[in-house]
This record gives sequence, C-alpha cells and structure tokens, in this order.
Amino acid sequence: MAPSRSQPSSPFLSRELNGEVLLDELDELRGANVPQRQLDACAQALRSLRGSVRESAAVVRQLAGERFADDAALASLLRRWATRLKHDADGPLLAAHFERLALVGGVMTAVRRAAQQLPRSGR
Amino acid sequence: MTKPSLSKEAQAELTRWPTRAKRLLGELLDDAATALQQELLQRAVAAGHTPNEVHAFADQLRGMADDEAFAACTLDQDAPRDYTVTQLLRAEADPLFAFELKGGTLEPDDDEAPLTAAKPKADVSTLRRITASFVADSTDALPAVLSASQAVLAPVGAPSSGLSALLYEATRAHGLSWHEAEVDDEAGMTLEAAVEAAGELLEEGLPVPLGLGNTAGSTGRLVIALQVMRSGRSRAWQLFDPFSNELVWANEADLLARKELPFSNKFYRRITRIALPARRRTA
Repeated sequence: MAPSRSQPSSPFLSRELNGEVLLDELDELRGANVPQRQLDACAQALRSLRGSVRESAAVVRQLAGERFADDAALASLLRRWATRLKHDADGPLLAAHFERLALVGGVMTAVRRAAQQLPRSGR
Repeated sequence: MTKPSLSKEAQAELTRWPTRAKRLLGELLDDAATALQQELLQRAVAAGHTPNEVHAFADQLRGMADDEAFAACTLDQDAPRDYTVTQLLRAEADPLFAFELKGGTLEPDDDEAPLTAAKPKADVSTLRRITASFVADSTDALPAVLSASQAVLAPVGAPSSGLSALLYEATRAHGLSWHEAEVDDEAGMTLEAAVEAAGELLEEGLPVPLGLGNTAGSTGRLVIALQVMRSGRSRAWQLFDPFSNELVWANEADLLARKELPFSNKFYRRITRIALPARRRTA
C-alpha cells in the first residue's frame, strides 16, 4: 500500500536524520569550506517550503542552481535532497533539517573554541 | 625549505607539548610555504598557544601569500587608536593574537583532539571522522525558527563563561541567546532540572551543549546533545563528542545516575555544565 501523501517519506523518518546523517553532511560541507553564513542563509531560504512537494522541490533546485551554485557542496546537497522530496509533508521537514544543520554547525564551532579554555585533566 | 631554528622561547614552550604535537609542528614547519609563515608559526608557539591553536593557525596561513599573511597578522599602523596599548604590545610578539584581533578565525582541524587526548576504542561506540565547524560570520538577523512557541528561559545562577558568548556569536543568525549554568553546583541548577529543560529544547530541534566531568564543578570535556527520542516512557539522548568524534545514544536514566556515560573515556562520567538556548525574540 502506498504511503499517505500527508506522511513524510522514509528519509525524514530515520532517527539518524538529525544525528549521523546531519553530521555526515556537516563533514561534507566543512570539507568543501562552505562558510557558516551560507549555511545560515540556506536554512533561512528553505523556511518558505510550505507548499506542495512539486513546489518545494522546485524551490530547492532553484536554490541549488542559482543562489548557492557557487558553493558546489551545498548545491549538491540541496539537489540530493530535492530528489528525496516525495510528499507534501517533506518540505517543512527538510527546512527543519537544514535549520538544525546550520545550528549544529555554529554550535560545533563555539564548542570547539570554548574547549580550548578548559583545564586539561590529562586523561 | 629549511626548517628554522626555534627561538629559546619556542623551545621552552615545546617542553610542555606532547611528543605527537611536537612531531606535528615539525611537519607544519616543513609544509609552511615561506620563511615568513615558518616565523609566524614559531612565534605563535613561543607566545604559548596550544598545539591545537598553532595547528589551526597553520591551516589558515597555508593558503596565504606572504603579503596577505603579514597583513593578517599585523595590526594596522594607520588605525592604532582602535587598539589598546596592551593589545598593540601583545600583537607585536604574538601573530596569532593579532590574527584573531583582526577578525581572523581559527577552525579546529580533524586532528585537533588527538593532540591532547587518547584515541577512543573503536568497539565502544561509533567513531566518526567529522569536523563540523564553520566560521561564525553570520550577520543576518533571522526570524525565529523551528517552532513558534518559545518560552524564554531566565538566566540561571552561575555566571556566564566564554562558551555563552561563543555560542551567541556562532548562532547569531538564528536569533538565539544562551544561558550557561553549572549543574549540581550550589549556584547552578540540579541535573534533573537541567535534563528536563534540555530535553524540551532538544525536542524542539535545538542542540544543547553539555559540559562533562568526573565530579560536579569540574568540567573537562564539552559535547553536544543533538536530539532526543522517546521510547515508551523512557527517552534516549544522542550525544556527539567533537573531540573524540564519538556519536552515542544514552538513556536519560543513565544521564541522571551520574555514574557513567557511553563515551569511551570513562573519566568524564556525568554532566557538569549546560548551555541552554533561548529565543531572543520572536519574529
């Protein structure tokens, strides 16, 4: 039986979507030197994903092909996600995922820098 | 390129470095493209920066031409009024300090953690090769995200440390402020209260940095709680240690037990500090 169109598709149901998947994506973006501000801007741009799946996919592809085209890794990530959008419920979930991606990227930077001030236990 | 002879000050600092870090410094000096870059690195060592900082500094210098590197690590002579005398004097001797003062950002590298910490055992938890840090250069004020209902947390007891300021800067685009507290400390909050507050924020999609330690009041490691999952009446937390690159799931009951955490380093067995995000305002 085909899933209801109001239900998210499988990539958005994975419990690792905002865990291991997210960290892999950050790793990929970091490796390509994508600036945090681009990730923040991308998360902001995706907040408009509230329409039909067709509209959402078009918006994501357009962002990949235009606004973020210069950041190849980010554009590639957007294109990959565009192909995974199957149901109307997926658009807002993709927006939330990129929001977390941007937030965790920023928090990671702060934590790494703050850790340099911690006492070293030597353990 | 010939490796430079290190100054006495740099050699004195190196006596405190682990062997692996010293070896890495040698490689960094070998890899430095010019004599100027080598000099800047050894001055950063002499100034007492940590191996991780020097490594990150080298990464930043590597892509620069000499004139760029010089400009990035030297305070502008035509705008001295912007700096204090102390800053000017320190920057003369410490190029890394000058680099950061001028807005340069160091991004820790994958090898950062192993310079000061032992590698975790692979069979304990998932090891990850990840470096998810980005330059915190966002300037756009974005509206509130993820959920419209946001209860702004009151600042909690312990005075803010540098972590709150760094988090604020790094997530400025998302309109968040951060309230940092010691956990189970007289001036802070109880672990139970911290876990409850953090759990709610995680369920809304906000990551929560945690300090780990062996006893209350002694934080030796910072990790990030990424998400929580409910299973019946219990809840599991997914925690990421960006230094050992371990990603683990922990039962909430185990967090509250204060006895052991599922990271390979068992010394850090409990939560000792927490930084809770809150909306600055709703758009």
